[in-house]
Amino acid sequence: MGKPERDVRMSLQTLKVLESFLENPTDQLSGADVHQRCKLASGTLYPILLRLEAAGWFVSRWESIDPSSAGRPRRRLYRLTPTGLKRAGEVFASFNRGVFA
Amino acid sequence: MTSERTQDWVDTLTQGLIHHAAQRAPGPLSERLEEEWLADLAERHGKLSRLRLSLGCCWAVYFIAREQRIATVHAASATVAHAGFVGYPREDSSRLSSRSATFFVVVALHVAVLCGLAVGLSGHFTKPTAAPFVTRVIERVPPPIDLPRPPTPNFSTTTITLPPDVEVPPIQAPLPLVDAKADVSPAPPVTDSAPVPPMQPAVLRLNGSPGKGFPNTDDFYPDIEIRAGAQGLATVMACVDAKGRLTSNPTIVQSSGRPRLDEAALKLAKAGSGHYVASTEDGRPVSACYPFGIRFYLRK
Repeated sequence: MGKPERDVRMSLQTLKVLESFLENPTDQLSGADVHQRCKLASGTLYPILLRLEAAGWFVSRWESIDPSSAGRPRRRLYRLTPTGLKRAGEVFASFNRGVFA
Repeated sequence: MTSERTQDWVDTLTQGLIHHAAQRAPGPLSERLEEEWLADLAERHGKLSRLRLSLGCCWAVYFIAREQRIATVHAASATVAHAGFVGYPREDSSRLSSRSATFFVVVALHVAVLCGLAVGLSGHFTKPTAAPFVTRVIERVPPPIDLPRPPTPNFSTTTITLPPDVEVPPIQAPLPLVDAKADVSPAPPVTDSAPVPPMQPAVLRLNGSPGKGFPNTDDFYPDIEIRAGAQGLATVMACVDAKGRLTSNPTIVQSSGRPRLDEAALKLAKAGSGHYVASTEDGRPVSACYPFGIRFYLRK
């Protein structure tokens, strides 16, 4: 799903998702983990994750487990890309200056 | 036992909802989203939380599919424009967009309001605020008039004393009255209060009167007065010489009350010149003035 970066409409919910990833930019978070951190509803959370992934801010992969042996489905893990990290930093920097990109 | 059955029922429902939502997602994402959401569902512990997750997935897939379609159309438009055509990115026209749905809702509301006004819906809710006007005639009662009481007349007896040298005028003979029935009528009594010069008691004077051949009053009775039913008595003063002819124009000394009858009486007195009986003094006719009456009356 990695695509060339695209303009992303910044909303309060999008900023919350980015903020949860910026706490530790190297973390790989599933949808359930992001939900635990930003308390967004699933109807809002998953479109944002897919939108940021399509914009090239995130990359995702499957969890490295065997579902049959683990007894549960694989989780989809998201991680910030270097571009996403840079853009997210710029967004929050402009946000702190009162200029919203 | 019941809790386990409920848990099974919730698991079945939530997994079914997630499967249904994933099937509605675009093809490449369908299997991925179903497995991802089922994995996240396994980490939820509460029944209500699991149900909220599955319902949220049904809501999320709508936006995911919409954004995927827009991205596909953008890519197709870019390809067509690169080939020399100008493309307009359009969404799937088979489904109503939110803008179209809003437009139809607004139109429906307008139609509903217009229909309500057309059938007189407002008439059921409006109430007359005041009773219809009723005209009443108010009789005005006049205020009582307090008139001052007339002063009580003060009758007082006054004694009039006549001077001793006042002479009482002699009573004259009555005036001759010309009647429509008779050519000559006896003179009526004279009640004139004018001062009469004292007469010498040695001379016996008798006033004259209309004599034989004096005109009839019917010939001088004005027609307009006859039609009006007017009647009256006029007293005429005539100055007659010794031969019974007028020496001056007769005059009215007492009006009948109607000018036309007075004028007719003067014409009659003037026409009777030469037919008067002259006044006499000691039996001799003399020139003198005397009054007489002319009566106009209607025969029944």
